[in-house]
Amino acid sequence: MITGSSVQSTPAEAHNAASSIYVAPSLASALDALSECGAAGAVFAGGTWIMRSPIRHEPLRARYVAIGRIAELGAVRIGTDVVEIGAAVTHAALAAALADLPEFDVLAAAAGRSANPAIRAMATIGGNLATPGFAAADCVPALLCLEAEIEVAGRDGRERMKLEHFLKIRSTLAPDRLVTQVVVPRSERKTAHARLPLRKAGDYPVAIVSLSVSVDAAGQVQAARIAVGSVEPVARRWERLETALIGRSLDAEEAARTAAELADEFVGRDGIDAPAWYRVSVLPGLVRRAAATALGA
Amino acid sequence: MALSLTVNGDRLASTADPATPLVDILREELHLTGAKPVCREGFCGACMVLIDGKPTPSCLTPAALADGCEIQTVEGLATHGQLNRIQAALDASDAVQCGMCFPGMVVSLTHLLTTRPDATREDIRAALTGNICRCTGYERIIDATLLALATK
Repeated sequence: MITGSSVQSTPAEAHNAASSIYVAPSLASALDALSECGAAGAVFAGGTWIMRSPIRHEPLRARYVAIGRIAELGAVRIGTDVVEIGAAVTHAALAAALADLPEFDVLAAAAGRSANPAIRAMATIGGNLATPGFAAADCVPALLCLEAEIEVAGRDGRERMKLEHFLKIRSTLAPDRLVTQVVVPRSERKTAHARLPLRKAGDYPVAIVSLSVSVDAAGQVQAARIAVGSVEPVARRWERLETALIGRSLDAEEAARTAAELADEFVGRDGIDAPAWYRVSVLPGLVRRAAATALGA
Repeated sequence: MALSLTVNGDRLASTADPATPLVDILREELHLTGAKPVCREGFCGACMVLIDGKPTPSCLTPAALADGCEIQTVEGLATHGQLNRIQAALDASDAVQCGMCFPGMVVSLTHLLTTRPDATREDIRAALTGNICRCTGYERIIDATLLALATK
């Protein structure tokens, strides 16, 4: 074995105080380590957000607990009533696991078209949900429209909560708590995920519309869940649009017209990729695209 | 505690901080400068290496998670001085321009050739989503990949 020397000349922005990374072999050991680390520690999932901390001028934490090798967190379990997705399941693995389940088209598209192939093979569903600073996360609106619930564990046990609630508390989640899985109910529905990156692929989306509708035999919308991502700092449901679609036939052009009338409820976020007004202005077009895709499904 | 890395078949020890990006260890410690830390965000693919056979941005991989893994950099792809199929095809097609993106391109395309022998032009485009060529030489790169796929 050849012994190397320590890293001497990494770029200035990459320097940080030494961080330790504990690669947890089991969920119990990860929870123990997080509990012992306290506020100095954090969960390390795929690392695609944490490793970019220097670029955001954020210091790395002193201690990380890596969860990517915990078998329990790396599985997708497809049951009769629900699909359970381990927090460390990568986007690529999730898209592959859902490929033959049309009711999950929205989530398969969100996981399978985000970023680029290598990032999809690293980034995890748990990381996507548990990163408050990442407004353009594709899986968050997709899971909102699928009525997902999030399981969070600590040494004292597990609790499950609606994704909407988790999004409200995630930035204040105690450091010894860990997202363990996402639970998504199964049902007959048409779903679609429409995103607008500035390039065809590889960019963050400027705006996202995720849609799930249940349609009766006459083609009328019985239930609708629509979520908008990347427009505001946190993804959320578009409940006024959902209400407007119920009881009508789903028509892409009409849905887009209604969306245009209701889009003023969004306050876009300014970013280097797009100004606030632009994110809002593209929503009707994305609603049209999502509805058309769902109708074709 | 020293990290144990297997790079291009050689077992190496490193005392780098466990959160050090793998690309920095490869370049600064092991002097393998093929992988380039260009964007450090996982967007450009210039730092792509194979970790246990999978194309992985080494800028986003902390050393601790490469510990015990098989790492292949662009320097390890030609065996016994013989270019691999995609390297030979890129050379024959005169596809190399400034060279900044090429180590990453070669790594991603080496994986594609191994895993997708039936890849179409669209498949190649999709596989290169995370590899940015600033010279915009994509069409020649894709043509060379099709040539490599046709060369058994």
